[in-house]
Amino acid sequence: MGVAPIEISDLVKDYGRFRAVDHVSFRMAPGEVLGLLGPNGAGKTTIISTMVTLEKPTEGTVKIFGLDVTQEPERTKMLTGYVPQELIHHGFFSVEEIMEFHSGYFGRLKNRDRIDWLLQRLGLWDHRKKKVKQLSGGMKRRLLIAKALVHEPKLLLLDEPTAGVDIELRESLWKFVEELRAGGMSILLTTHYIEEAENLCDRIGILQKGRLLLMGPTRELVKDLTEREIVVRMRDELPKNIASPFLLKHDRVEAVFRVPSAMGVGELLAEVGINLDAVNDLTVREGSLEEAMRRVLNQRRPSA
Amino acid sequence: MSAVNYEKEVEAIRTAIRFNRWAAFYSLYRREMKRFFKVIFQTIFTPFINSTLYLLIFGVSLGASIRLDSGLSYLSFLIPGLVMMGVLNNAFQNTSSSVTSGKFSGDLEDLKVVPLNSTMIIWALSVAGLTRGLIVGLITYTVVEVFLYVTEGAFLPVAHPFWLLYFLVVGGLAFSKLGIAIAFWAKSFEHVSGVGSFVLLPLIYLGGVFFSTRGLHPFWQKVSEFNPVLYFINGVRYGMLGISDVNVLTAAWISFGALAVLYVLGLYALKYGSYSRW
Repeated sequence: MGVAPIEISDLVKDYGRFRAVDHVSFRMAPGEVLGLLGPNGAGKTTIISTMVTLEKPTEGTVKIFGLDVTQEPERTKMLTGYVPQELIHHGFFSVEEIMEFHSGYFGRLKNRDRIDWLLQRLGLWDHRKKKVKQLSGGMKRRLLIAKALVHEPKLLLLDEPTAGVDIELRESLWKFVEELRAGGMSILLTTHYIEEAENLCDRIGILQKGRLLLMGPTRELVKDLTEREIVVRMRDELPKNIASPFLLKHDRVEAVFRVPSAMGVGELLAEVGINLDAVNDLTVREGSLEEAMRRVLNQRRPSA
Repeated sequence: MSAVNYEKEVEAIRTAIRFNRWAAFYSLYRREMKRFFKVIFQTIFTPFINSTLYLLIFGVSLGASIRLDSGLSYLSFLIPGLVMMGVLNNAFQNTSSSVTSGKFSGDLEDLKVVPLNSTMIIWALSVAGLTRGLIVGLITYTVVEVFLYVTEGAFLPVAHPFWLLYFLVVGGLAFSKLGIAIAFWAKSFEHVSGVGSFVLLPLIYLGGVFFSTRGLHPFWQKVSEFNPVLYFINGVRYGMLGISDVNVLTAAWISFGALAVLYVLGLYALKYGSYSRW
């Protein structure tokens, strides 16, 4: 295992008397997509802001590929691409000009091939001569991503990358993130969309009021923290006196069970004494990350 | 991974990073230049019209009835002040409007997340501000030379080109840095325009653009000595005409001191001021 793209130790960020980030620590594995989830004001954006020196940590350290962002900001910025949450207008400049300037800020004056590739890949090629203020919201969002990738960073920070973006564009951005991951890039994203986190993230961290409540592999988290609903419909009738702690409701031919996500259908049927041959239909609804998140947020609500 | 291997790998990452600082500096300078050329009517032609009006009203119309001790025509006396006023105003406006419009559109934060450091940012912005100031100054100078030729039948030769260049560059850079400092501190457009109207404009007008402080009451002469703009303008006047209300070496040192103070102020503003969007 190589050097962690992000290593945060005991990070605290105070704004006056308000604590936006409260002793957060985590480590990212190279090449992984890590998601930070949480309600508004959970501290997601503040954590990302400390990684690109937009905010200075009150306490703790933030390292990018082993380099401290406050001690070697020039180097850590060369390794990092940052996509902010808010859209930017860029005054009078065209898409092409903005890309050239941004590339230049990273010391790359002759970067035409990379710029052209990004503009084409992100569907901005036909709009490259347009002024940024003439672009739609979705295009502006794509320009932010193109800018962040112009210097070929090893780590990409996406702060709410699909906020206010239509479904089609959202899916194309997800596909692009998958491509970047396949190319070996490490990606940290914050999102409000549970579906996004479920689709993209290898691991997720759940934040609330500045605290990291939980971090783990997405699938395991869903499995550990959710229940699955199993609907059993019999060919004939359910066994008389059917009883189980997992039984939610039933009528003459159909029973609805809620079981832990780790429990298999066969295990349930054996426990309640139903023979598979007697079953006409089975429906399983898996638990979602949303349920897991809700459970974490409700169970571990920190004191204010 | 062992601690030794970890350190080795981090060191390998550190040494593999190549950052061309000059390219980054040049890119920001180029962006600033392109920015003011995109609004050339506002940045170049408006100051040109202003200078021409000043010349017509004060130099040609009123100037005919003003006699100076030095024997120079009032129009000739006015030229250095007008040129320097153009340089100072435009240098200040270029950097302050760049930073404030960046705060408005949100792209000022870009400068914080790219590897440009405060020194590179302040120099790139202020050299661009100086460039705009010098372009406006040069246009003003060309116009007045034509005026002079038409009205007095001869061009005005430059008395001390080195001093002229020194004061133009130091003054332009100083006001560029002042613009950066004010704009990073500002929380609205009003803050910047307030400083421009209530502080800078009086300092420039009272700094001897239109008159010699030698004609003032001794008390007001003393007060004028605390105005740094007086030294910038008299330095340029010495460079162009060979006359000045103050000793040229004193003016040179005070101008350089003002630049140094404003540079530190600008760096301080970049470090502790706000890049955030309005």
